[in-house]
Amino acid sequence: MSAKTLIKRKQKTDAAVQVCSVRVGQTLYGVPIAHILEIVGSERPQPVPLAPGYVGGLVHYRGDVLTTVSLFHLLGVTPSKSMQDILVLESPGGCFGLLVDSVGEVLTVSQDDYEPNPSILDERRRALFAGAYKLKDSLLVMLDPERLDPLRLGATQAA
Amino acid sequence: MDDLTREFLIESQEGLDRMERCLTMLEERPGDAGLLAEIFRAVHTIKGTTGFLGFKRLEKLAHAGESLLGLLRDGKLEADRAVITGLLGLLDGLRELLKTIEAEGGEGDRDNAELIERLEALQTPARAESRQERKPRAKAEAKPEQAEGSGPQTPEVNPTPAQAAEVAQTTAPTQAGPAQAAPEAGSSKTNTLTGTAAESTLRVDVTLLNRMMNLVGELVLTRNQVLQATAADPNLTMLSRRLDMVTADLRESVMKARMQPVSNIFSKMPRIIRDLSLSLGRRARLQMEGQETELDKSLLEAIKDPLTHAVRNALDHGIEPPEAREAAGKDPEGTLKLRAVQEGSHVVIEVSDDGAGIAVEKVRNKAIERGLISAERAAQLAERELLQFIFVPGFSTAAAVTNVSGRGVGMDVVRTNVEKIGGKVEIDSRVGKGTTLRLRIPLTLAIIPALIVRSLEQSFAVPQGALSELVHIPPERVASAVEWIENAPLYRLRGRLLPLVFLDGMLMPGRECKLVAGRDNFIAVLDAEGRRFGLVVDGLADPEEIVVKPLSAVLKNIGLYSGATVLGNAQLALILDPGAIALKAGVTMSAEGEAGDGSEDEQNLDAISREYLLVEAAGRQAAVPLADVLRIEQLPVSRIEYIGYRPVLNFEGQLLPVEDTGDILAAAAGDPEAQIVMVVCRDGNRHVGIVVSHVLDVADGGDLFEAGASQRADGVTLLKNRVTGVVNLSGVQPLAIYENAAAEFAQTE
Repeated sequence: MSAKTLIKRKQKTDAAVQVCSVRVGQTLYGVPIAHILEIVGSERPQPVPLAPGYVGGLVHYRGDVLTTVSLFHLLGVTPSKSMQDILVLESPGGCFGLLVDSVGEVLTVSQDDYEPNPSILDERRRALFAGAYKLKDSLLVMLDPERLDPLRLGATQAA
Repeated sequence: MDDLTREFLIESQEGLDRMERCLTMLEERPGDAGLLAEIFRAVHTIKGTTGFLGFKRLEKLAHAGESLLGLLRDGKLEADRAVITGLLGLLDGLRELLKTIEAEGGEGDRDNAELIERLEALQTPARAESRQERKPRAKAEAKPEQAEGSGPQTPEVNPTPAQAAEVAQTTAPTQAGPAQAAPEAGSSKTNTLTGTAAESTLRVDVTLLNRMMNLVGELVLTRNQVLQATAADPNLTMLSRRLDMVTADLRESVMKARMQPVSNIFSKMPRIIRDLSLSLGRRARLQMEGQETELDKSLLEAIKDPLTHAVRNALDHGIEPPEAREAAGKDPEGTLKLRAVQEGSHVVIEVSDDGAGIAVEKVRNKAIERGLISAERAAQLAERELLQFIFVPGFSTAAAVTNVSGRGVGMDVVRTNVEKIGGKVEIDSRVGKGTTLRLRIPLTLAIIPALIVRSLEQSFAVPQGALSELVHIPPERVASAVEWIENAPLYRLRGRLLPLVFLDGMLMPGRECKLVAGRDNFIAVLDAEGRRFGLVVDGLADPEEIVVKPLSAVLKNIGLYSGATVLGNAQLALILDPGAIALKAGVTMSAEGEAGDGSEDEQNLDAISREYLLVEAAGRQAAVPLADVLRIEQLPVSRIEYIGYRPVLNFEGQLLPVEDTGDILAAAAGDPEAQIVMVVCRDGNRHVGIVVSHVLDVADGGDLFEAGASQRADGVTLLKNRVTGVVNLSGVQPLAIYENAAAEFAQTE
């Protein structure tokens, strides 16, 4: 590969963002792949009595016990099946799992198609979402792993 | 930083640690040549290596110290307090420089001129006339040794002889001294000793050890799963058993590799105490015990600060000034005792002083004053519970804040740090007699034995350390087992009321707290820091060795769980924190524990006490030594069989002679449904069964002395202030077959 094409590719990826699409309920959400450590298929998390509602339970992940966040609870939707996929996300506070209905393909979206959160969105969702990308026939709502960190959720939910 | 410098730093630190130990000892034995030689060697090694590494400032300082030490070693100067203070200053100065080198890679630009001057001044007192002559001598002596010293001396701290040789080679030309000086007296012996130790040991990075520990944790989990999965397959039994053994061995070895003696932190204390006593005007003697007790490296690190705090506190608040001590009729020199001892899976570190103790009244008043507690509640609290207040952040009973302690941060830090690593802090204090602070540290953090309990269709782990017994409630007793005072559930355990906590009710507020009818229920009797309670669970699974995994902060904040673990069946289980459950349920420390603690000492002094099982047979009470009791069985009378007139019991495939002094068997014989209680005891090599009506309690028995005789009365004991007969186990007549066996046994012997 010549130096020229390398530079070209780099410029291209700068403008484009790779996003992993996940489905929760009817909506398509996106998580930047840079924050995803691994996708764990269908596991049933162990519930934690007395834990805040948004905690989806615990799963065993690579020798560690991972706290999961239930997007269903946060969005107020019921999961479509009993087993859910888990995205293992990295955040400044450590790793955590995100429970979703299903994990779809990785999409490459362009920065140009990005729009911030609309003003009519309710406050709770505004705190969770990080804008959206306009896809050809639908919207991809972006999730910010940092805002989904259980510790942060604990702080914002309590406030 | 290059490897050589790093190596030098580590070596020098070790050398200085040794020097510190020796210096404090030197104060007690000022003339000890061995100590002086050791100190000299430490400074000397540093000086030798720095010259070669090019740290000029360090070399200059070490040189100044060395000259002074040379005089001391040759007996031309007395190691008085001023000299030792100077040498400690040298130690600090050297440490400071080493720290700067470690952080910045260079020596920085701080000047040690003042310290060097002080060290030089110390060489002069009353010997000014000889100084001129002696100083160069000390130097000349030092130089040749340097070249030699880097050779055979460094191996004691240097694990790579090749490197030492390299140092020696390079040093020789720079120092330009013939390597011929005779080694100091006594040092050759130390060299050979430590030299061999160096060859068979090596330095390992702690992160590598941590990683090994994690991997072993994983292996333990996998083993647990393999064991459960292969339990049914006879072909794999041998293999999995072998895996089990190897894993256990490996775990032990890795844990051992991480162990370090507590002397590593104890050895810092003499210096701290010396400095503090000087600045506070206290006189204290330090006694250390059990320094060889070993503790996991990370735990040792973690208790360093709490221990220092505790020692400072003991010296500042505990031990009174000499005048006050004398006025109170005590030795003006206080005693501070550091003691480490292993107790099961814990290491207990005690810091005790014979100082003023903590006035409980002061604590009570302060707590009320600070609004921590209401006056009525304070009046109800036991002394032991009141003392806990000193662990509250910002709580201090000290009238004046000194620069050492009294701001009320100390004890708070002690407790937080110790609890962070799963340990406990206990305090015991008597006014005028002193205070003892007890740190209970788990031997290892990672792997603990635990009982697995079931509740809410989930498994939970209860650390075995807190478990004192298990109570099984069969379905037919469910209706009557729990008694209530309003909404407080209680269970009558050997005649005493035990507060109950329903695990499902606690974990799911609003759930009705009751035993489930129609099946077995279980109560795990837990003892968390003196808070005794029964935890009601739905079921029990086998105990397991669990690997503790930390929980995320959100779940830790719930407060009831201390971690999570993966069980043998690959299921996750939360680890319950018995102390937190007790606190949440409002269980307070039992008066029983309090009384037990208070009388403990006196009993130990008065008489050797033994624990007895108090039983009742046909209206009479009798005691069975608890140590001899193997099991207590409840069984239908129909299981008793007879050989001739002798009642026997087929107990787990063994024949058990049965003693029935109360004629309970005869009384029950008419009713085939009747249940009898059998105490299975050990008597030498054989087992015997004793039929009783009830088992009443376990109690401490005191020895009785016959009036006018100094001989202990056999066969009776003082139990709950009643003279009680002790069942004579060897008096149970052996069965004929046993007699034969005993005869055979005697013959073979």
